Amino acid sequence: MTEYEHVNEDVEAVVEDTELPRRLKDRVYGTIEERGGVTVEQADEIAKAVEARYLDTRVDPLDPVGTVSAQSIGEPGTQMTMNTFHYAGVAEIDVTQGLPRLIELVDARKTPDTPMMTVYLEDEAQNEEGVPYATDRERAHEVVWAIESTKILALGDVSTNVADMLVRVDLNEETLMERWPRADSVDEVATEIAETIEDALGVTTRRSGTVIEFGPEQPSYRELLQLVERLREIVFKGIEDVTRVVIRKEKTGDEEEEFVLYTEGSAFGDVLAIDGVDATRTTCNNIHEIYRNLGVEAAREAIIEETMETLEEQGLDDVNIRHLMLVADIMTNRGTIESIGRHGISGSKESVLARAAFEVTVNHLLDAAIHGEEDDLNGVIENVIVGKPVAIGTGDVNLKMGSFSADGGAAGRPSDD
Amino acid sequence: MVDVNQHNLVPEHTVLDDPERVEEVLEEYNVNKTNLPKIKKNDPALRETDAEPGDVVEIVRNSRTAERAVVYRLVVE
Repeated sequence: MTEYEHVNEDVEAVVEDTELPRRLKDRVYGTIEERGGVTVEQADEIAKAVEARYLDTRVDPLDPVGTVSAQSIGEPGTQMTMNTFHYAGVAEIDVTQGLPRLIELVDARKTPDTPMMTVYLEDEAQNEEGVPYATDRERAHEVVWAIESTKILALGDVSTNVADMLVRVDLNEETLMERWPRADSVDEVATEIAETIEDALGVTTRRSGTVIEFGPEQPSYRELLQLVERLREIVFKGIEDVTRVVIRKEKTGDEEEEFVLYTEGSAFGDVLAIDGVDATRTTCNNIHEIYRNLGVEAAREAIIEETMETLEEQGLDDVNIRHLMLVADIMTNRGTIESIGRHGISGSKESVLARAAFEVTVNHLLDAAIHGEEDDLNGVIENVIVGKPVAIGTGDVNLKMGSFSADGGAAGRPSDD
Repeated sequence: MVDVNQHNLVPEHTVLDDPERVEEVLEEYNVNKTNLPKIKKNDPALRETDAEPGDVVEIVRNSRTAERAVVYRLVVE
């Protein structure tokens, strides 16, 4: 083996002989390498011990994995904070964490409490100047302005002239050139802004330099104020749902750094299509947006990733990832994202009694009675209710006792006493 | 339109064209087709393929607990 100095062929042979997956084998090699090599006997012992531990982690047939997962996530859940805001990496962006975030994930809320995106930039030279977006500050800012929604108050001052019934917008030249880096002149940008205003408000504007003036058709104080109100809502550049973008320089390797954007508000599909955005790494914390844009498998990955991060953030990283994978598998089992709860998984169970035992008992029993539903008593809950053994663990194994004769004589037969 | 299959979160999807392969899979897990997890026909990850309802898609995930995890989903409307 070329990559490890201290792992010779004999050691490799004993490790490769085990039932371990590739990753664990590599970790065994890594550890042997760190220790500066071992004898074949030691290697054999190590490999056997690791294999034994690995085989122990396998689930036995008829193990109630769902119940175990529920407890394994539920117990640490009791230690989570009721509410925390703040994001480890970016202090400026608040993100819901702890228990509320976990609940939000398993409830599969349509929009999270605090939507955000992590936008990575192209790290290969893709633009005409040959400067990669990810490492060039100016290029990165270009993407920022393409994402962050720009409203009129960010561009200049708005004042009303009641005497002439006019709204006056005094644009800031520097801001314009900063936010429209590709524009040739201030005039060009100002014209564009004036046109946007005309389209959005249905008024005719007069422009001289960076000053734009317009007013209601009929002199009306109320209309004038309404125009100002509506003017404030117009998005001149960027994506409406993204209210703020924070840019950060992050280390990617020993020497290398790249710019990463964090956004308040999310519009995953729109952002993926923007020039300079790396559409292979950019993510958001809204699993529904991931589902819509990348599909059900990506949503599953995102659920695992997000739940794990939420637990890790609270110091509960010893929850085995298999429990979270099970949750994600169940949530995406039908090709869409379903919540865990009354409106999702538990509410769509086949058994009437199982549904009734979860929530809104009377409604379920009443509906079942009206429709003449039957219960096959296959699941755990319904069997607990009726007092039958549940079909998991030893409950699903039939042990048949009886007599047989081993040698045809009376020896094998139980006595009548 | 961006190619979603390039995204890190999206594993490799392949439609199983060969009916025998599908049979093998079902036999291996001892299940009916309808017992498989589902995937919608209009799922973004299937955009490049011509998957029809009833097809079985093989998904090769980069597993967290093993090297690769091969799972199957049934295409539905």
